[in-house]
Amino acid sequence: MSSHIFALGLGAQDDVAIIVKPGQIGDTCPVSGSDIAQAVTLLDAIPMAHKVALRAISAGEPIHKFGQPIGIATSAIRQGEHVHVHNMTGLRKGLRGEQA
Amino acid sequence: MSRHFFGFARDKGRAGIRNKVLILPVDRYCNQIAEQIGLFVEDVIVFPCLGDMGRHSLDRTRLYQATVGIACNPNVHSVVIIGVRDDFNYPEMRLNKIVDTIRAAGKPCEVLTIDECGGMGQTVLQGQKAARAFVRQATLQQRVEIPLGDISVGIKCGISDGTSGISGNPALGAAMDILVEENGTVIISETTEIIGAEHLLAERATDEETKRRLLEMVEKTENQAKSVGEDIRSINPIPSNIKAGISTLEEKSLGAIAKAGTSALRGVLDHAEAPKGRGLYFMDCWMAGNALLPALAGAGAQITVFQSGGGDMPHDPPVPAINSATVAPVFFMTGNPALSSKLDIGVDYDSSKMLEGGITLADIGEEIIEALINTANGQLTWGETLRYKERIDVWFDGPVF
Repeated sequence: MSSHIFALGLGAQDDVAIIVKPGQIGDTCPVSGSDIAQAVTLLDAIPMAHKVALRAISAGEPIHKFGQPIGIATSAIRQGEHVHVHNMTGLRKGLRGEQA
Repeated sequence: MSRHFFGFARDKGRAGIRNKVLILPVDRYCNQIAEQIGLFVEDVIVFPCLGDMGRHSLDRTRLYQATVGIACNPNVHSVVIIGVRDDFNYPEMRLNKIVDTIRAAGKPCEVLTIDECGGMGQTVLQGQKAARAFVRQATLQQRVEIPLGDISVGIKCGISDGTSGISGNPALGAAMDILVEENGTVIISETTEIIGAEHLLAERATDEETKRRLLEMVEKTENQAKSVGEDIRSINPIPSNIKAGISTLEEKSLGAIAKAGTSALRGVLDHAEAPKGRGLYFMDCWMAGNALLPALAGAGAQITVFQSGGGDMPHDPPVPAINSATVAPVFFMTGNPALSSKLDIGVDYDSSKMLEGGITLADIGEEIIEALINTANGQLTWGETLRYKERIDVWFDGPVF
């Protein structure tokens, strides 16, 4: 376990938290400010200020940060995975009404 | 407890935190004259004119508003206005109209025209003479104690990353809440940057008209993107935001509005329009720093704040934030420890310690207010210690003709 990283939840019920210092695969990362998880084990290397999943999220489910929906999962996401443009998209639809 | 700063009292309106003599060309033909006055005279600011030729009425109005707004800013002591002649420009930018507005705001003005001076060289000489006399008057004026509520702060965030929404913008928001409690004014802008979070800001509007106009501004911006075949989601987040951890438009916007704190939204403003009251206002404008910071100064902000994430910033200086060509100093802050360690000179306030825990948001807000009061009292921001002037832009819709 690396003690120099931790994640910050911005809403107690948020699905994701922010990685405060870069984390490697297998790092156990304490989470502050969350009712969802007290710690997660990282399944990906996650750069600083990027998001980690605090719980399993199914494809199509909304993803919350700041207590607000910020997007939708485009594939199943496991707890501890990096959450970013490869597995989520925004809520606003595109020019032809497309989601992704 | 009401707080104070030491500023320059004005005959009309709020007090200034700087006491600048402004050289104001009102046509592109006059820019060279203004620059030459600026080269020779100590302690003046030149605000170059982008020109009204071939622009439509809305854009000419925006240019007018930016021009007179800068001149009427509380930080301006007096103005040397340089025109070609009264009837040279379109009605929106007519010289006498500009002069009347600036004089009505209580600013001493010297008006010179190329026609009356007898050419550019003569205009430069007479302009230098007028500017030097104003500088002598301005430097005689002493700072006096002024309530903090006289301060208006224009806020912008940029080079956003994951820290912007956590340790950057919320820190600034906490300070802006204190300023509003002190009867001060805060202006947030960047219509593109609130898309996806506009409903939260709209809910805070104190009246239906404000709410309606805010949502209308957002809709107009989305429609403008569509009209040129752009998916708004491909405009924001920008590539450097994505690299730094921001995934969606909604995520970026939610982080961005945090810098406005939690106050009620008192009204919405057009580009460079001064608020009629005090408290939190939203100004319709695009996001580019070299246009937005002058527009905020044009709306009367004595200080502009640039809150930077900077996670994907390659080097210093933080170019968009250093812009001494406006009359309002740029206060540069970050919540990203990586950026503050890269820029040992350049960061006016570093809120990244929030990431380590152990300091409350309220305490951070207090610290930022103290730092802003130092700026108001006359301490130069890091940006002001440089003579660098980024080219000014104005928010034009186009097309041009």
